[in-house]
Amino acid sequence: MPTQRPRSYPVDLGLLTVLALVVLAVLFGSTYLRPYDSPELDPRAALLPVYLLRSLARMTVAYGVAVLLALGVGHLAASSPVARRVILPTLDVLQSVPILGFFPAAVAVFVGLFGPSALGVEAAAVFLIFTSMFWNLAFGVYGSLITLPEELALAATHLGLRGSLRWSRLVLPAVFPNLVYNSILSWANGWYFLIASEIIAAGQARYTLPGLGSYLGQALVTGQTAHTVTALATLFLATLGLHLLVWGPLERWAERFQLGETGERPRTPRIGRLLARSRLVRWFSRELVIPAGQRAISAGGWLMAVPGRAGRPLAVLVVGALVALGVDAASRAYALFTARPLSADARDIPAGLVLSFMRVSAGVLLAVAASVPLAFAASRLGSHGRAIALTVLQILGSFPATAFFPLIALAMTRFGVDMNVGAVLMILTGTFLYVMFNALSGAMAIPEEMDEAATVLGVRGTRYLRHVFVPAVLPRLVTGCITAWGGGWNALILAEYVIAGGTLYRVRGIGATLDHATYVTRDAQVIVLSLAAMVALVVLVNRVFWEPLYERVAERYKMDA
Amino acid sequence: MISLPEPTAAGPVSAPPEPLALLRMEGVEYFYGGRIRVLGPVDLEVREGEFLSFVGPSGCGKSTLLRIAAGLLRPTAGEVWLGDEPLRGVNRRAAVVFQSFALFPWMTVVDNVAVGLEARGLGARERLKRAEKYIGLVGLSGYERAYPRELSRGMKQLVGVARALALEPELLCLDEPFSALDVLSARNIRDLVLDLWASPEVTTKTILLVTHSIEEAVEMSDRVLVFKANPGRIAETVHLSSLARPRRADLPGVRETVDRMYGLLV
Repeated sequence: MPTQRPRSYPVDLGLLTVLALVVLAVLFGSTYLRPYDSPELDPRAALLPVYLLRSLARMTVAYGVAVLLALGVGHLAASSPVARRVILPTLDVLQSVPILGFFPAAVAVFVGLFGPSALGVEAAAVFLIFTSMFWNLAFGVYGSLITLPEELALAATHLGLRGSLRWSRLVLPAVFPNLVYNSILSWANGWYFLIASEIIAAGQARYTLPGLGSYLGQALVTGQTAHTVTALATLFLATLGLHLLVWGPLERWAERFQLGETGERPRTPRIGRLLARSRLVRWFSRELVIPAGQRAISAGGWLMAVPGRAGRPLAVLVVGALVALGVDAASRAYALFTARPLSADARDIPAGLVLSFMRVSAGVLLAVAASVPLAFAASRLGSHGRAIALTVLQILGSFPATAFFPLIALAMTRFGVDMNVGAVLMILTGTFLYVMFNALSGAMAIPEEMDEAATVLGVRGTRYLRHVFVPAVLPRLVTGCITAWGGGWNALILAEYVIAGGTLYRVRGIGATLDHATYVTRDAQVIVLSLAAMVALVVLVNRVFWEPLYERVAERYKMDA
Repeated sequence: MISLPEPTAAGPVSAPPEPLALLRMEGVEYFYGGRIRVLGPVDLEVREGEFLSFVGPSGCGKSTLLRIAAGLLRPTAGEVWLGDEPLRGVNRRAAVVFQSFALFPWMTVVDNVAVGLEARGLGARERLKRAEKYIGLVGLSGYERAYPRELSRGMKQLVGVARALALEPELLCLDEPFSALDVLSARNIRDLVLDLWASPEVTTKTILLVTHSIEEAVEMSDRVLVFKANPGRIAETVHLSSLARPRRADLPGVRETVDRMYGLLV
């Protein structure tokens, strides 16, 4: 997922915005949530298709909102230097922030808005899924628009393409391939967080929405193996079906929107050609997917042009609201921390932060150690093998690995392994795929001529690995690490505090502190402090380590010698 | 026969009777990022019916000036006049052919040519008719449904020319249109542009060409403005309207003109 990394700015507006949101969300949340327990799901397997459809509906709504917002925000960031200074750092921080930590607060806000009705909880779930889908879409849109050839944009201006015509003829086609590619990742992310989005526990309130995620979660908690297996099979079939019937055809159709002179090989992965040849897939593609895509582009052009007319007042409104939020957050935070001295839990935050930092770092390093050889092996498979490897990865990436955390915890105790190992292993499920995706797409982007040159020069084996492969994939590998670094913190929140078989398995760390405060003590001080500490650390490490590293690597190893 | 000024002289020399100015620039300056002077101040006139070329080394601001004329860049200082009206925004009386073709890869040839007409509010049937006419004029009939990536570079630039002409502009701006082409395609398209310029089928009679090739400028233009860099400015004006057409590099007169202009540039 080669996203465009934005540059940092001295006054980090993004960080400030997010910190304000932390304070507000937590405080607002703790006011509104009342004890609540929704009924259990009907566990009959015959109901699975219904649950699947409800999950799909939720994800589709979340995805639709995410795409529209990503288009608006990405386009705004690409076209206005002023907006860019606010949007990029904010997105950057929000993307790398452990979003799971905000789930209880977000639920509280939506339930507060709509009441604990079906609508309120559904809206909360959709919002949670949205947060797992949005960031990479927005960066994808921004990235394609700033790399749009200057003369093409000038030509559009010159030909008088404005408003909806400009959107449907220039902007949407230009972002389309990247949007499709990132949509696949977004959906994988959505599935990954499905359980967390459909079973929402916050304090004494526990909301279960009927859906595939909650069904699977319930089956795992109650230990019904048969139900777990059927749910997983349904999930597998659903993701496979989406890949074959929707994403595959869309990716192939998107090739025509690739910029570049001749039919350049698209850098997006392709599903095995064998499957694409099936009559059903072709019918589906021709009759449904492509017409829907065409309609989406023209309707999207019309839709996206609407806010353009109200742009300036809207921007003033948003900035005004942000400033008001910031002031409100500051005063609330002041009141919170002057009301009483810090608790013991709050004082343990620095030590927990260091331990958690080590766990996430280990998770990223292990992911790199595993990905590089695997990507190398996959790159030797030939184009068919690579395509299959990528498809397998995409489907694997869709699995809600968090569902298996209790199983990992139980396995660790069964074999007498330290729970820290288990926690790192769980974090690895949140980091590995990001690194692997990027390593593999980097490997696929190695120009054929470079491979041929290496062959002619007799550069083989470890020498090839050292002098050709690793340098070639390094920029994307670092991009993958940055995303994995954010993903790792997300997984951490669930990994440090696992309930399995009625027993709590926790390790000392900031994720466990946060969970304990969220679910048990409901200590707003601890929640605000731990979230803020985590956000600050993630952002700090991005600024002082990952961004400079990326810039050096991108400068040194970019593919345009 | 050749009204070429002495290398030392600056400014227009022995100008023929003045036709009307289609576009006039007064004191136009352009600063990159608001600080670095790229261009100017420049005064110039594009006269109705003339073939005017800007020649100069890279970085002399000749393409910048063309974009200012097309209303794609706003000058940092100075004014551009269309007749007696100041130019604001995109110049709707001009059309541009870009060096990199700037075709929309997701549209067929006919859609690429017609999209500008759609933006000008023409109905679907009228758009198609006009697009097909100009595709025919550049010799691409039969390729209407092809996508740009299926065409050679020369053919792509023909689509670029058709797209610009289809707007039926008063001024055709060619921004290094032959630089990205092989010698043979460049030769063919140059001849085609000159033929179309002379043809009664095409209403566009004023052409502005930006090029770094002196041969190209001498072969095609009535008047050549020679630019110098740092900052970009007009160093010489060369009148060639008395040089007989068609001009070929090996014809007497053409060779000498080219040689003397090399002298001006160095």
